[in-house]
Amino acid sequence: MEITINFKEEKEILHVLVKGEIDAYTAPKLRDKLDAIEIEEKANIAIDLSEVTYIDSTGLGVFVAFYKRATRETAHVRLVGLSERIKRLFEITGLSDLMDIDTDKKVELS
Amino acid sequence: MQKKSSVEIVTEWDIVAARQLGRNKAKEIGFGTVDQARITTAISELARNIYLYARFGNIHIEWIEEGDKKGIKIIAKDKGPGIEDVRKVLEDGYSTSGGLGAGLPGVKRLMDSMEIQSEINKGTTITITKWLR
Amino acid sequence: MEDLEREYHKILADYVKEQSERTLYIGQNFVRQLIRRNISPEDVVSLHKDAVETIYPAQFDELRLAYDFLIEMMVHYGMAMREHQSLLQKQAEIQMEMNIAANVQKTMLKTPIPSDMTIDIGMLSKPLKNVNGDYVHFIDDKKYISVAVTDVVGKGVPAALCMSMVKFGLESMEEYAHDPEHVLGVLNRIVERNVDDSMFISMFYGCYLREWGLFYYASAGHEPAFLYRAEENKFYDLEAKGMLLGIVPTTKYKRSEVLLEDGDIIVIVTDGVTEFRRDDTVDERQVVASLIHDVKGLPAQSICEYLYSELEEMQEFELKDDFSVVVIKKV
Repeated sequence: MEITINFKEEKEILHVLVKGEIDAYTAPKLRDKLDAIEIEEKANIAIDLSEVTYIDSTGLGVFVAFYKRATRETAHVRLVGLSERIKRLFEITGLSDLMDIDTDKKVELS
Repeated sequence: MQKKSSVEIVTEWDIVAARQLGRNKAKEIGFGTVDQARITTAISELARNIYLYARFGNIHIEWIEEGDKKGIKIIAKDKGPGIEDVRKVLEDGYSTSGGLGAGLPGVKRLMDSMEIQSEINKGTTITITKWLR
Repeated sequence: MEDLEREYHKILADYVKEQSERTLYIGQNFVRQLIRRNISPEDVVSLHKDAVETIYPAQFDELRLAYDFLIEMMVHYGMAMREHQSLLQKQAEIQMEMNIAANVQKTMLKTPIPSDMTIDIGMLSKPLKNVNGDYVHFIDDKKYISVAVTDVVGKGVPAALCMSMVKFGLESMEEYAHDPEHVLGVLNRIVERNVDDSMFISMFYGCYLREWGLFYYASAGHEPAFLYRAEENKFYDLEAKGMLLGIVPTTKYKRSEVLLEDGDIIVIVTDGVTEFRRDDTVDERQVVASLIHDVKGLPAQSICEYLYSELEEMQEFELKDDFSVVVIKKV
């Protein structure tokens, strides 16, 4: 299963559009792409997961690492467009308490 | 008959010249068809490494003797980026990663011995030999 | 090499004369011998060339160059083949090391399953690969039995290395084994300090008070356990929200509790048990619950084994993750 990652900058928000399944095989590619983002102070980053059908624990790890890095740079990361199943994964793992997640695809950041 | 000769590697066609020189030498020394092919392939690989990764260099080929043994020695020298971990390029599987030093384990197996000296940003010298049996 | 030349020459000459299947079979066995002796492709072509020259001396001059050309081509082929062989050997060495590592881990992570007149416990933990990223740890005290079910992110060696840390952490806290919040809190700090940002561990920690039949538990980002209530003939989720271990050093964990009645069953699993489909069409937890229901009357260990064999079959014997299940049955 393949994964694609696209970037779009709009109204001061960096949108990261991820498509596909995130598992042990595709996670390294996602990690590389996210690692390559130069995070500026107080930047707003929205990761759109509405086209992601599956995330395993390795995939979660990628998001956690990115979230931690962004937080150190005082940037704001938001995960949007999560399916019910993926949202549930973030809830079970407690990550929904830590990260800003939203099932809604709209990404206006307050 | 000259005992030593060399070819500068600058363009891809110089790889062909190095092959030609190596084949002639191997034939003169008395290597059979299969060993000629092996020696030439080894030279080709070394010259190609120079061409692709170091840009310039030269291939030096000489007839060697030790007691009543006869053989061929090839020295490939460049002033390229150098090889960081010589041990690593001699491991199989490294060739799949591409880059400098790719294919060296294969070259080593075509010959009887191989020596690598390399310094980062200074260059690499690879010496290979094969004895006539 | 000379014996090979003679033999090949004879086989080829026989074939040219009779074209019999028998000769071809002999040829096949001959090739086996060549492979065993590491004869490279260019040598095989050379062997053939010499044999052809002896059999067809008159016509050979025209063919010589074509053969020489093939020898040249085959040298590179031979290089690739020898590299392949050497990689196979290397792989065998790594495999051997892995087997040893797996045994070391097996010994290290062994945990005796407690038993009691009032409670029947079963446990099964199968690694996907050689080494296990799941870990089940029991502590058997006069007053209580505690159980930790752990899943390290990822599989294989990195997960297994991390696992040792959890085991030693748990063992060093035995005097707090009846205190899930404390154990998770300490482990969380240990893990957070020792692993990188993308690593984490989930853990379900439960404690059963023998005298009271009370089961209390806390979870660090772990999948909820199943609770089967015999009287209602119904399943519940033992949910306890809590952050994964290793993410936020200051995380506090909360305990929940449930009083077990006779016939009640608690099933703690890792996500290898409940994540067997990647689409939304099947509620996997529902499937697991119904499997448990099918065999609720069996001993705890048999329930574990039944779950494993059924779920393995459902995935066509290709599980995708380490698989661990603990069954606690009040009898």
